[in-house]
Amino acid sequence: MHGGEKGKLMVVTGSKSLPEQNTFAQFPPGQLSENQSTRYSRHIALSRFGLKGQGRLSDSRVLIIGIGGLGSPIAIYLAAAGVGHLVLADFDRVELSNLQRQIIHTTHDLARLKVESARDHLAALNPDIRITPLARVLDEEELFSEVSQADVIVDATDNFESRFELNRVCVQTKTPLVSGAAIRMEGQVTVFDARREDSPCYRCLYSDEIEEGETCAQVGVLSPLLGIIGGIQATETLKILTSTGDALIGRVIFLDAFGMELRTMKLRRDPSCPVCG
Amino acid sequence: MMRIKLKLFASLGQYLPPGAKQNIAELDISEGMTIAAVLGKVGVPRELVKLVFIDGIHQFPQDIDNRALESGETLAVWPPVAGG
Repeated sequence: MHGGEKGKLMVVTGSKSLPEQNTFAQFPPGQLSENQSTRYSRHIALSRFGLKGQGRLSDSRVLIIGIGGLGSPIAIYLAAAGVGHLVLADFDRVELSNLQRQIIHTTHDLARLKVESARDHLAALNPDIRITPLARVLDEEELFSEVSQADVIVDATDNFESRFELNRVCVQTKTPLVSGAAIRMEGQVTVFDARREDSPCYRCLYSDEIEEGETCAQVGVLSPLLGIIGGIQATETLKILTSTGDALIGRVIFLDAFGMELRTMKLRRDPSCPVCG
Repeated sequence: MMRIKLKLFASLGQYLPPGAKQNIAELDISEGMTIAAVLGKVGVPRELVKLVFIDGIHQFPQDIDNRALESGETLAVWPPVAGG
């Protein structure tokens, strides 16, 4: 596996019997194999996305922290969409209780490292992309390094402590952070982008004095809710990578699946925020 | 006294006072009552008061104990969520 080539992509027609795997490497920068032009044809046909957008995706590197309930659909969509390099970070192993919602893993993957299970699933889905599994807790130095190398960070963790730490590094490195969370039948999703002066950060939203709340293991979570929130996170990630549309910055979407209510509320940057203020 | 609207979403809905319709209640409160005081009055546990909005705009964590409600405002609260 390898990363996407730099430069705009152009469709190469008439190529025959191209192997599905590693097709990017067989064409010079700026060209797309026949297989790839077919694979990504619905993106290429999308008027505000097109070949240029697809090329940007292939040149992109995204770090996904957490390959569980949210990380599963996020990784699947980003891989299918053709993001050139996915870095997957999770130290955990697949358990039977994960399989109700962590749809990237299967019964055959029980007891395997989640990042290895996910890597195999994603490589089968899209052999054109590069996948780097990190099966460990990232220390401060490694987290800084990984965040610095990525174009977008996707927060799919399951606790406040990790979320605050990730936010701090993203502010420090001015890296966009796509943040989602879900529990029970409720979820929330937003984007923080420290490159923008007016963007709040996660610490503007939550005080870091917050105690670790209830976990999905304690109070449960409805399986498809993670697909909805994760799907929005994947959408926002693709939009940021391709500079398409208006990112979900300064707004947060709340979903209450029990009453099936979706609401958008306004967020502000806190001038006295200890992280971004 | 003055009247405000209180919206408690998702799992916080259980703390809405009697007479609430869906997730909205109208409340008569004393002037100068802060966000924390209003939510304490209806019994929302303090540790669940994290994501607070007035008229759709997020209120910073430090404002929860300081910001007084004004007549006609809508106070909305979502529960904190970190799962994934």
